[in-house]
Amino acid sequence: MNMTMLEYEELEALIVKVREISGFDFSGYARPSLLRRASRFLNRHTMSLSDLMTHIEQGGKAVYDFIQELTVNYSEMFRDPDFFIKLRSEVFSYLESYPAVRIWVAGCASGEEAYSLAILLKETGMYNRALIYATDLSERVLASAREGVFGLGHMRTFSENYMLSGCKNSLSDYYHVAYSQAVMVPDLRKNIVFSLHDLTGDGVFNEFQMVSCRNVMIYFNLEQRQEVFRLLYESLAMFGFLCLGKRETLRYSGFEENFRIIDSHLNIYQKIR
Amino acid sequence: MENKDLPLELVLIGGSSGSFVIFEEILKLLDRPLSCAILFVLHRGKSSLFELPKLFRSKTQVRMEEPQHLDPIMKNCIYFAVPDYHLLVGPDERFYLDGTEKDFFSRPSLDATFISAAQSGIYIKAAMIFSGASEDGALGMKIIAERGFKTYVQNPTIAEVERMPAAAIRTHGKHHILTENVFEEIRSILYSYST
Ligand SMILES: C[S@@+](CC[C@H](N)C(=O)[O-])C[C@H]1O[C@@H](n2cnc3c(N)ncnc32)[C@H](O)[C@@H]1O
Repeated sequence: MNMTMLEYEELEALIVKVREISGFDFSGYARPSLLRRASRFLNRHTMSLSDLMTHIEQGGKAVYDFIQELTVNYSEMFRDPDFFIKLRSEVFSYLESYPAVRIWVAGCASGEEAYSLAILLKETGMYNRALIYATDLSERVLASAREGVFGLGHMRTFSENYMLSGCKNSLSDYYHVAYSQAVMVPDLRKNIVFSLHDLTGDGVFNEFQMVSCRNVMIYFNLEQRQEVFRLLYESLAMFGFLCLGKRETLRYSGFEENFRIIDSHLNIYQKIR
Repeated sequence: MENKDLPLELVLIGGSSGSFVIFEEILKLLDRPLSCAILFVLHRGKSSLFELPKLFRSKTQVRMEEPQHLDPIMKNCIYFAVPDYHLLVGPDERFYLDGTEKDFFSRPSLDATFISAAQSGIYIKAAMIFSGASEDGALGMKIIAERGFKTYVQNPTIAEVERMPAAAIRTHGKHHILTENVFEEIRSILYSYST
């Protein structure tokens, strides 16, 4: 078994190179995870570090494949169904009285979460008053999010999640099948805006009643994470809700005092000061 | 014993099927404060809701935790990797949860924790591997051994499921094999002073 194992110094050199060539800056990302993923990338492609450096220098597809590996775009519709149950009972019930609701899905990957929220909003009769801004730093995933097309293979998991989320219909009510793919009904897209936004570089762009930033915080290092928390905090209206992923808490965020805990397991918080 | 100035030392203990009872026995040995941090990595299902510190509460007085992302690693504390994340050790002596793909169909995986610990530059007092039906951990153990740290493998013939310890031995021939008086030996390893 011949494994390439990157060391931390090599990783730093790689981060600098990627930044020079592509503008993507991973310096605020958690090093242990980057090291693991970069090593796995090399092994999967049976590449040495110098091979990768050369590929990156030449620009083109290899850099973006590598960046994609480091940013982790995995997502599911109705991921963690318990979260969606709580969202309906604790958050949507509160936002129901609002004449207009703006929601930000930060780090939206291929749109799975944005479409899930759209469905939940429809089923609670709030969709027409809601606007979902779904952002990511990857143009690749945004392009597929805009299409709203998912492999049928995934729909099975998504449908199971949907049913566990306490929703009343069937997920298949919200898509039709074409060429072995699930195409989300256009009506769901109506109030979703997909756009490019880098949580580590771009600033506040609107004020939201809810921000969902799930399974993204985990990629940042302590300092970067605090800065991103500041951005999310400043993007929230007073009494707005912040939703984080499983195992992602406000600990070490610097904003522990500014939020009330709505659910400490599902990591739903409300801005109170 | 609790000397704040001494550098952090880690003990890594991993296993899968058949290891739960061994972990329980190891915890029972811990009747005094520890100069190191002990990390237990046990394969467990994604939605396993058992909190191991609660389950093991009666076994030892030493503090037990399921570490959260970015928690500093403390001496005299026993940690259990949470389900559905890899538990990585950072050079800044903090834990990092990692949601990337499984190793050997497992998250947490032994390899993820062991390799990250080996690369962190933190002193590894011992790494041990017990019963299990997977080859996870073999690579991590090899890397740790090659960096000069002590590694211990349960003798596959006495393991409930031999595959995991057998794979570790096949991958690297120089691990110390735990055969007789296993728990006495583990006790003396955990309470030994490092040189
Ligand atoms: C694991 S996915 C999470 C998707 C979805 N929120 C969920 O929970 O299923 C993480 C996403 O965060 C994005 N991401 C990573 N770094 C980012 C940054 N600096 N700014 C914006 N998005 C980022 C990645 O491109 C990826 O699509």
